[in-house]
This record gives sequence, structure tokens and C-alpha cells, in this order.
Amino acid sequence: MASSQHVLLSPAELAYLHASLSLTPPIRPDGRSPTQFRPLVAETGILPGTNGSARICFADGTEAIVGVKAEVERTRTRHDFPSLDLDEGAEDDDDLDDNQRDVVKGDNDWVEMTVEIPGYRDDDAGTVFLSAMLSEALLADGEFTKRLWINRRFHWKLYLDILLISPPLSYPLPLLSLTTHLALLATRLPRLKSEGDEDPLFDDDWAAAPYLYPRPTGKKGSKKAASAPTARPPVTLLVMAVGNNIIFDPSKEELAVADVALAVSVGESSSSSSTTSTSSSKPTAMDLDTEETKGHNLRLLSVRTIDPPSRLTPPGIPNASNSAYGANAGAKDTEKKKQQQEQARTAESEAVEGVWKAPRGGAKPLVMAALVQKVLEKGGVADEVLDALDGVDLN
Amino acid sequence: MRQWQPSPKIPSPNQQTSPACRTTRPPSTPTATMASLKRSFESDPLAQNISSKVYVRSTKSGKVQKIVREVYLRQDIPCSSRLCNACLKIAPKDAANRPIPFVLSEKPAGTSVFTQGHYIVPDTNAFLSAMDLFEQSSAFYDVIVLQVVLEEVRARSLPLYNRLVSLTKSEDKRFYVFFNEFRLETYVTREEGESVNDRNDRAVRKAVKWYNEHLSKTSKKAPAVVMLSNDRDNLRKAKEDDIPAYSLADYVRQLKDGEQLLDMIPELEERDALIEKKPGQFLYPEYYTLSKMNTGVKNGLLHQGIFNVSPYNYLEGSTRVPAFPKALLILGRENINRAVDGDLVVVEVLPKDQWKEPSTQVIEEEAVTKNENPTEEGSDLISEKERKALQEEAKRTLAKTTEGHALPTAKVVGIIKRNWRQYVGHIDQSSVSSSAAQGRKQDSVFVIPMDKKIPKIRLRTRQVAELLGKRILVTIDAWDRTSRHPTGHFVRSLGELETKAAETEALLLEYDVQYRPFPKTVLDCLPKEGHDWKVPASMDDPGWRDRQDLRDLLICSIDPIGCQDIDDALHARALPNGNFEVGVHIADVSHFVKPNNAMDTEASIRGTTVYLVDKRIDMLPMLLGTDLCSLKPYVERYAFSVIWEMNSNADIVGSRFTKSVIKSREAFSYEQAQLRIDDASQQDELTNSIRTLLELSKKLKQKRLDAGALSLSSPEIKIHMESETSDPIDVKTKEHLATMSLVEEFMLLANTSVAAKIYEAFPQTAILRRHAAPPKTNFDELANQLRVKKGLDLSVESSRALADSLDQCVDPKEPFFNTLIRIMATRCMMSAEYFCSGTQSYPEFRHYGLASEIYTHFTSPIRRYADLVAHRQLAAAIEYEAVHPAVRSRGRLEAVCKNINVRHRNAQLAGRASIAYYVGQALRGKATEEDGFVMKIFSNGFVVLVPKFGIESLIRLRDLAEPEPAATYDAETYTLTTSGSREVKVELFQKVKVRVTDQKDETTGKRGVKMELVSTY
Repeated sequence: MASSQHVLLSPAELAYLHASLSLTPPIRPDGRSPTQFRPLVAETGILPGTNGSARICFADGTEAIVGVKAEVERTRTRHDFPSLDLDEGAEDDDDLDDNQRDVVKGDNDWVEMTVEIPGYRDDDAGTVFLSAMLSEALLADGEFTKRLWINRRFHWKLYLDILLISPPLSYPLPLLSLTTHLALLATRLPRLKSEGDEDPLFDDDWAAAPYLYPRPTGKKGSKKAASAPTARPPVTLLVMAVGNNIIFDPSKEELAVADVALAVSVGESSSSSSTTSTSSSKPTAMDLDTEETKGHNLRLLSVRTIDPPSRLTPPGIPNASNSAYGANAGAKDTEKKKQQQEQARTAESEAVEGVWKAPRGGAKPLVMAALVQKVLEKGGVADEVLDALDGVDLN
Repeated sequence: MRQWQPSPKIPSPNQQTSPACRTTRPPSTPTATMASLKRSFESDPLAQNISSKVYVRSTKSGKVQKIVREVYLRQDIPCSSRLCNACLKIAPKDAANRPIPFVLSEKPAGTSVFTQGHYIVPDTNAFLSAMDLFEQSSAFYDVIVLQVVLEEVRARSLPLYNRLVSLTKSEDKRFYVFFNEFRLETYVTREEGESVNDRNDRAVRKAVKWYNEHLSKTSKKAPAVVMLSNDRDNLRKAKEDDIPAYSLADYVRQLKDGEQLLDMIPELEERDALIEKKPGQFLYPEYYTLSKMNTGVKNGLLHQGIFNVSPYNYLEGSTRVPAFPKALLILGRENINRAVDGDLVVVEVLPKDQWKEPSTQVIEEEAVTKNENPTEEGSDLISEKERKALQEEAKRTLAKTTEGHALPTAKVVGIIKRNWRQYVGHIDQSSVSSSAAQGRKQDSVFVIPMDKKIPKIRLRTRQVAELLGKRILVTIDAWDRTSRHPTGHFVRSLGELETKAAETEALLLEYDVQYRPFPKTVLDCLPKEGHDWKVPASMDDPGWRDRQDLRDLLICSIDPIGCQDIDDALHARALPNGNFEVGVHIADVSHFVKPNNAMDTEASIRGTTVYLVDKRIDMLPMLLGTDLCSLKPYVERYAFSVIWEMNSNADIVGSRFTKSVIKSREAFSYEQAQLRIDDASQQDELTNSIRTLLELSKKLKQKRLDAGALSLSSPEIKIHMESETSDPIDVKTKEHLATMSLVEEFMLLANTSVAAKIYEAFPQTAILRRHAAPPKTNFDELANQLRVKKGLDLSVESSRALADSLDQCVDPKEPFFNTLIRIMATRCMMSAEYFCSGTQSYPEFRHYGLASEIYTHFTSPIRRYADLVAHRQLAAAIEYEAVHPAVRSRGRLEAVCKNINVRHRNAQLAGRASIAYYVGQALRGKATEEDGFVMKIFSNGFVVLVPKFGIESLIRLRDLAEPEPAATYDAETYTLTTSGSREVKVELFQKVKVRVTDQKDETTGKRGVKMELVSTY
């Protein structure tokens, strides 16, 4: 499932679209504002047999289901692994604190993600790329897998099954990411009853199972509680630039004229100290953080450029080189032909107002920085998306 | 129940502040395209009937699963009260469309509080702690057993569950199982943070409440529904909810004559009681948590095994674990840590410097802890006397520097499964305070179990005076860390000590022999004709299908005198070619006992017929065992025949198996048959055929011995009874007749032939019997003793070598010496066991004692269940009948084998114990001097076997003289030399003269023999 699916737009349509998206403010085909998301409906807990599940449906008809299953797995022992000591009792705990409590660590192997897009093989480059992006965001800071640590000998192995259940009408990355985010929020792991490095034993009461991402104890859905700094799974947002405009959550058609498209993964860390590491370059970030009652400690986890389908679109032909408009009329000798070819080349390389031409070259660093910053803005889109997802009932 | 809520749209958080960032469209947009995938309970009219259970299941392999179960609730589960008309309409119907009759009486008994009558709803705890109470016939009728309670009982204790189920089946007790978990009104969902136990308790309370409301609609004076519980918390909550509830004790007090039942009730359970006690009061170390034990066992740091107590030393236990070739020793109270013989325990091996030798001293609990007071707990775990005994032990170990002999020791760190049962015992006279013997106030006494391996049990009772001097049945309730002895409660009295009825019942209870009369369901499986059943005259009858007519053969049976259940009969005749046709005919029990009916189930549970001296507890009802199946003479009977063609050298030329009809010509006793053979004037055909059989059997025996079969020995005696009163009057050792080995040889041959046949037909599921070769270490001690004392060598490489070296073990001066060694060698062997062929590899099938490659039991289907299974398998193997799933399922067969192995062993032990009891009775009031042999020697006593009575008994140093003589024990030469008040030198294998008298053993209350050393030879 490549981003470069077939776009059934003519060069003229592309040119028009590009022009209208380049306006200030841009005019999007569906009338959204640049930062506005497509409306969506979300619910969790749709698969009772899983540890956590979610389903999101975009208004354009695309729909995804994510199920999270957890299994207990024995951690592979390393040669420097301390031997099992059953007598480790409460009295030893003080000594252990320094050496062994810090041992909590994760491994990327503990998460297995499969992405399924209808109509595509699972080893399709696009599918693999999607899966890589989603897991990259999850594993980037190494914090996520630490949550799967049970003790020095065991860990949870998490299986994330991400299914797009509608045809891929638009590039599904944001949809899949949001659904995964929601499913992880809803994921609960059985409560551990055993202590230390014993073989894990769990509480049989599902109601007692804690969330993988512990929720604040305040009332659910209340804005205050939601804004309390808690860790959240990452979300990957799709942002694109057309001319000087930054457009969020592009539709398939919009993506077809993107100059640059980026997949930006942001996470939220529970500790405010991590704000320093956010790429939000504004020195006021910290101040804002303390002042603003609501706001997330956003941190950038990863950025990927997406090859926009616009690159593969056929260019429009300027009238100057269009034979139908007499550009070629009367040209008979080879001399003229040669000249024509040169003309055609210039036509291809030089922009002609109102004629579609596929963007060339990589994203410019300045544009990238602007895109990323826009995502991480306090009270920006990422903030809003996270807030909005907070409102979903997790039961 | 989870209520579905409409999926929220993503709200717009701050439309005012940044209008450019609206994330939501106006509500007019078509966001409702997605219907929720979750079940919508709002739209479903039957939604209230559906609930779900969500829980976490941990599997054995360590997997952890979230389980979601849907529960479909119904309203057509009747209350089953005969008062209720509403439920009658919805009552389930049987095949004939008649409603199944309701269980609970319309006029239930009342109590002093509930004069209008009442139904009882016990909670799990009530059943677990006082099942005996519910089995009383004086009270406890009209009981509602809730499904949740039944399931909990099953999870906690299978034996109790089985008893409860049989109660629910008994018609006169009126126990009704109410499926509260499926009835809409009584279903409860687990609340957040609620433990399963609390949830189940709540379910019980809800059911009681519903029952009360439901019945109150039926009439004004409807019976009350009362919850019984022994859990304070549950009672308190019931009170809060205004639900009638009583503790067992409070309830029993309301009954007429309730006082007597009070003893059967354990103390009210207090969950927090222990925490209040100071840690200093704990006498025993705490058990590890279950997860810690599991981890330890999996990693090989801890070991799991069955805990066994030494019969000679109650402070010495052992457990055999796979990781060690020899059993781990567990020494001392603290290390034993509340384990009781038979428990499945987890042990931790102690450091090597604490390894010890097994004790050479006899320590009996009774002697050491004689003056303990049951009402006060000593603060020390180990009493002064015990400490002394242990110290002597330690000194001895230290004195010897033979470190190589030290065995690994271990301590119990946890108990996986208690194997507590009901124990027979009697009240220790010395533990009874003088006031208690008269008053009716509750008093603590010690009960001394008959089984010496079980510790004393502290019992609280009001009827000390009545129970003194009686055989009583008690159960263990608990063993707290704060209590030196386990606490238990009284179940029932079996009768006066030393009365035949009480002692026999005690014996049967102790060995878990099912002795209750056969229930009606079993008797219903018998042929309707009863004793008039005959082999059908018409050969067209289906009974004759594939059956060979062998009625013209000269068949006879040879059995012990008075044998009624004749399993086997024999014939032999010469064939024209000079060979012989030999037939073994076995009662065709499988014709009468069809797989999986009630009779079959009962037989499979009983496993074997148990023979006591004066009593036989049948596996099958009398009608079959002694009449219809029994191959009685002069009548036609169905049989299963094994027929060989043999040459005169007793080599088998051919063999076949067939169902048949036979007519036995005569039922001989061994003696009669012997006389007839010996009488040369008897030249009739029948006698001659017996002579042929005898000749052939001698050749068979020789072949068997050549192959290395062992001729082992156990002291066998016979008790002569006075015919009128059946009081024992004399004890004699059994004689051995040639006719006995005649029958034995052909039975062995039949068993071997059948084993090969069923194994060929069912390589995975044949029921076979094996006798594993004993580990060489088992003989170490005996070999060493023989070498040191007699200069004899015992080679144990193979059964052949052992048989030969046993033959060499003779003392020309003492003919009995060889038998003594054989008896001792037998005790070193493994016990033979039934198994299912798929569970072992072929070389493991070997029967060590019989030196046979493959063996099974086929010849006694009337008294052994294994034979019955073998019959069914053989019938299927010869295509007489279709293979029944019951004889094909490996899992089931394994379960059957496991059970009959235990039953077989118990039956043997019960038989021996019965003989021991009767020997004691026969010797009552007589004192004789007999020859005996020293067969085991300790540092403070020795064991003497008296061949004439087949009994062995311990003679302690303190029995030799008063005061106790000093003694030195030389473990190297197995010699005990006493000095001081009496000077004797006792050696192993020595022949001694002992005075045998009867004596009531104060510790076990058994009358047994007492031996006194008269002189040494």
C-alpha cells in the first residue's frame, strides 16, 4: 500500500488543486481548515477476547481495527544475567534497589506488529513501510517496551494486529496510528501477584487488571484529568506542505499535489523534564508548560518523509510545446525538431503558471522544520488530537 | 453488565481560542456511518438474559489468557419446592413428557427458631468443614445445594465433592442442586476489586434472598430459607442484608438433640485471627507462596514429592523426588513443618553439613510426648524430651565419622496438596482432664490415630466421657503455625475398642475400602431373573452368539476350602497326536457387567474384593460373584476360555481364546484334589486329567524357574475359627500343596498368553501388569547384612542371579533362615503395578518376579477389576464384540490403573491388618513361648519375627528389664549388646526364644501381640 496509489486526476485538475491549496488561507476540496482533521468515530473494547482493542472510522469511509494481545514470555537469559535467587526477601530490597531495580529494560523483540491492508500482500513494500513507521514510533524512545517488563526472567510479548477493514481510500497511516494509539490506551495486562523473579502468577480478576498506560484516577473525560501529564502511546500524524501552506490530515487527492509529505510521530511523556528533549525549539516551551493548564509534554519521536504520489503524476504540457496548439506546425526539418525537443525539455523543467508539474527534489530542511514545529506546537494539532482521543470511553 | 454507550465523536476542545484548528465538523456531517460493532444491549429485548464473565486464566504451561464467556440467563430453572406451583409449569420434563418431580418437601422440618419449617442453603465453607454433619440421618433434610457452592466444593476437594454428589442423589435426604448461576434473578456479576470468594458468597446470599422472596409468594406460612455458613464475614453481610443466616453451631443448637452434633463442627473461621498473634508465637516456619514454589520446582531449586513418615520414627520423614536417586530425609518437627503422611509437599534440600544418616532409633510419638497438655500450647516447638531424643541421635551421627553414609536432608517449605482423610483413632486417656470426663463442657483432648504415621490430633469435644474407650473417626481441619498439633473434629464413633464390629470397620476406613452396601442403581444392573438365571437352552439365543459349546469337556475347579466365588476351572485331555489339550476357563463376568453402567463404575471404584479374616467385601454384588458368574459345579455357566495345545514337554504348540459355555464336573478344594491324585485307586477320567495337569504344571514351573522367576515369600498363616461364634481359636501357618501350584501355573500361563494377545491387538491401550526391577540400592542393606553376619553374597544383577543367590542363602542348622531372607528380600522389591501399555516401552513391561516379558491379570474377574478390563479387551481382540470406548481410551485406562493399584495395595494391607488383629484375639489370655528371628535392629530395640504366627513385633530395650538396660549398638556388625540390669547380646538374623502374649497397645488401642525376650540361642 504505497502512498503513490493511482491518482485519477488529470494534470489540469492537479494544477487547479495545487493552486487552491497554495492560497492563503488554502482552500481544501472538502472545505476543511488546514489543521482540521476529518471527522471520525472511535470506540474501544470491540474485541472482548483481546487485552485491548479499538476501532476508528473516518468519515471518508476508511475504517481500521486494532487488537492487542499479550502473552507471557520467558526473557532470553544473557551471560551476565544474575542467577535466580529465591531468598530475595523484603530485607534485601534496599541493597537491590540500586543494582537490580534499574534492570527494568525492554527489548524491541517484545512487540510484534502486523499490518493488514485489504488487497495487498503482507510483504508488499507499502505495507511493510507502514508497519515499520508504526512500530518505529512505538519503539523509538525505548520507554514503551519497559512497560512490558514483568521481572528479570519474564516479560509480556505484545502482538499488535492492525487491520484496515475498508479499501485504502486514502493513505491509511494516520488512521492506523490513531487506532493503534487508542487500542494501546485501552490495553490492560493481568495484575501480577507474584513477587520478585518468581514465575509470574496473575490475579484472575480481569477487573483488577491495570492499564498498560495507567490513566489518571480523576473522572474520565474531564478536561482537567485528561490534561494531567500522563504518558501516552505515540501518534503518527501525516502533514504535508503545498507552497507555503501546511496542511494536516490530507485526503488522497490533496496528497496527490503535495510538495512534501511527512509522517511525524509524537509521544507524550509523563515527566515534565522530557520537554527539554522535544524539538520544540521555542525557548518558551518550558514556561508555557507551567502556565498552561492544559497541554501535553509532547516529544518528537520520529519523522519520515513520505514519497507523495504527486511525484509520479504526469506533467501538464504548456501550450508552448503542445502541438495541438500549433507549436509544431510547419516544423519539418531536423534542425527544427531538435529545437522542439529542447523546448520541450525546458517546458518540463520550468514551471509554467497554471500547468501541472510534478514536484522534484527532496524536502527542504526549512520546510521540514516548519512542519515539525507546527505539529509540536502547544495547543496545536497533536495536542488536540490527543485531547480528543482522551475523550473516548476506554471500557 | 456493560452498557454500550454511543461512540463519542472527537470533541472540539477549543473552538474559541483557535478557530483555525477546529477538529470537528458541525454535527450535521455524516459521522453516524459507523454503527458500533459491540453488542447493543439497548436494542436487544433479550439483553438482560445475556451476561458475560471476564477473567484471567493461567495455564500450567505458564500462559496467561483473558477469557470471555457469555452467560445466558434463564428464568425457567425451578425452585423445586413442592409448595411452588409457579415453577411446576416450567419444570423440565423427562422423555415421557412427565415433569421431573420436585425435591424439596412441602412440609420441611422446623427448628426452634423456624417453627414453620425451613430449607437450608449451606455455603461452600459449611460443606467443606462439616460434610459429616450433612450426612447425618437425624437432621439436615431439604437442603438446597447451589451450583456455585457445588463447583467450589469440587475445586477444593474432590472426595468431599463426591460425597456431596451422592447426597444429592439420595432420595430420602432431599438435596436439590439449584443452578443459581444460570437463573436470571440469582446471577451476580463480579464487582470491581471483589475477590472470587466474596463474589461467590454474595451469589449465595442473593440466592437465599431470592428463595425467600419466591417462596413467600406461595403461601403465608412458607418455610424459611436459611443460609448456613461458618464464615464470619459472610454471616455479617447476610445480617446486614436481612437474610436469615446462622453459623453451623448456632443452627445445630436450634435442633432437637443438637448438642451431640456440636462436636462435628469446627471452630468458626476467622480470617484475621492469625494476624493478631505475635510473631513470636509461631511454632513453625511459614510456607512459601505458591508462585515461589512453582518457580523453585521448575528451576530445580526446590523439589516436589509425596511426604512419607517412617513407621518407626514419627520425627523422621522422607520424600522421594525425581532429582535424587534416594529419598530425601526430613528430620524433626520444624523441618517436617506440619506435613502429614501422604501430603504432596515441596522441600528444599539443606546444606551438606546438615546431612544425616537415617535414624537407628525407634522414636514413638506417644512415648515422647506423653504428658503434653492439649489445652495449653507449649511455647517451644520442640519439647524437652524430643530434644533429648534428637540429641542422642545427633551424637551418634557425629561419633561416626563415616561421612559417606550421610543422606541428603531437606525441609518442607510448602504443601501443594493435603492428603488428609478421616482418621480412625481413640482418645488419649492421659490427655483428659478429670473434670472433662464428667462435665459436658467443651474440652480439648488428643486423639491418637491408629496409623502411627499420623500425628496426634487435637480435638475439641463435649462428650469426652462417652467417647473414652471408643474407636472414633476424626478429621483434621487445620494445622496452624501456632499450634504444635493439628486440630480436628469428631465425625462419629465406631463403637467400643476391641469389639469386632468396631475394629473391622476401623480397618476398612483406615484402608479406604468401600464397604457400604451396593446402591440401588448398581443392583438394578443385575439380570432380572436373579438366582434363576440360566444359560439359555436354545442355541439361537443371542447369548450363544459366537460361544463355543464346551459342556462335554471334563472341567473341574480347584480352590481353597469354602470358596464361593469360583473364578477359574481347568481341563486337560489327550489329543490323538499325542499332545494335550489344556483349557483354562474363566468366569465370563464381562457378559454381565457392561461397560459404563452403574455396576461397572462401582466395580471400577472398588477395584478389588477385599478379604478379611471373617469378612469379604465384594467388588461385585453377591448374585454375580457367588452365583451367576461363579463356575459352580454341575451347572452350565458362561466362561471365557483359553485353550492350548501342548506337547508332553509342556511346550505350547497352539493357543486360542473363545467365549464358551461350560459345565464344571466338580469343585475340589486343594486338599480334596491332592487326596484324589494321591489315591492310586482313583482311575476315572477326571482324576487322570488332573494328574495330567499336575505333570504339565510341574514342567511349566521348572521352565519358569529356569528363566529366573523368583520364589518369594511372605509369612502366611491361617486362622482357625470356632464355627459357631467365629471367634478365632488357633493360628496355623499355611500348608503348601502341589495342587496349589498346579492352579497357579496354569493361571500364570493364561495371564501371559492373554497379555500377549491383547497387547498385539491394542499396542497402546492394553491393560497389563508389570513388576519393575528393583533398584540395586534397595538391596544394599540386605546384602551388607548377609555379608557381615553370614558371609553370604547376594547378587542382584538380574532376577535369575537373585533367585540363585537366594537359593544359596541357607543355614544348615536353621531351615527357616532361607524363608526369612526371602521375606526380607521381598520387602526390598518394588510393588507390581497395573499399567496401560502405551505408557511404557516394551522392555519396561517385564514382570521381574515372574520373569515374564509380558503379563496381565485375566483369571479373577470376579474379584479384580483389572481382569474385567482384560476380558473386554480380549473379547474385542478376538472380534467377539466391538471395542467399547471405555477399553480404548488411554486416559481412562490410566485413571483406572491408578485407582486399582491403590485399591489393590490397600486391600492387601487391610487383609494383613485383619490377620494381625485376629492373631491378637486368638492369643488373648494365652502366653506361649515361641521361636523367633531378629529381622531388624535398632540402637534401642529390635524387631522379631515369629514364623509360627507370621507376626513381627518390636522389642524395646525398656521391655527387656526394669530399669532400662544400657546398650551399645554396633552398626557395623548389627549387634546390640546390653549391660546393667540385663545382659544380652542380640544380633541380626539370630534365633531367639520369645514369650508371646497379647497386649492392648495403648498408643493405637489395638490389641496386638507383645513379645518378651526369653532367651537367645
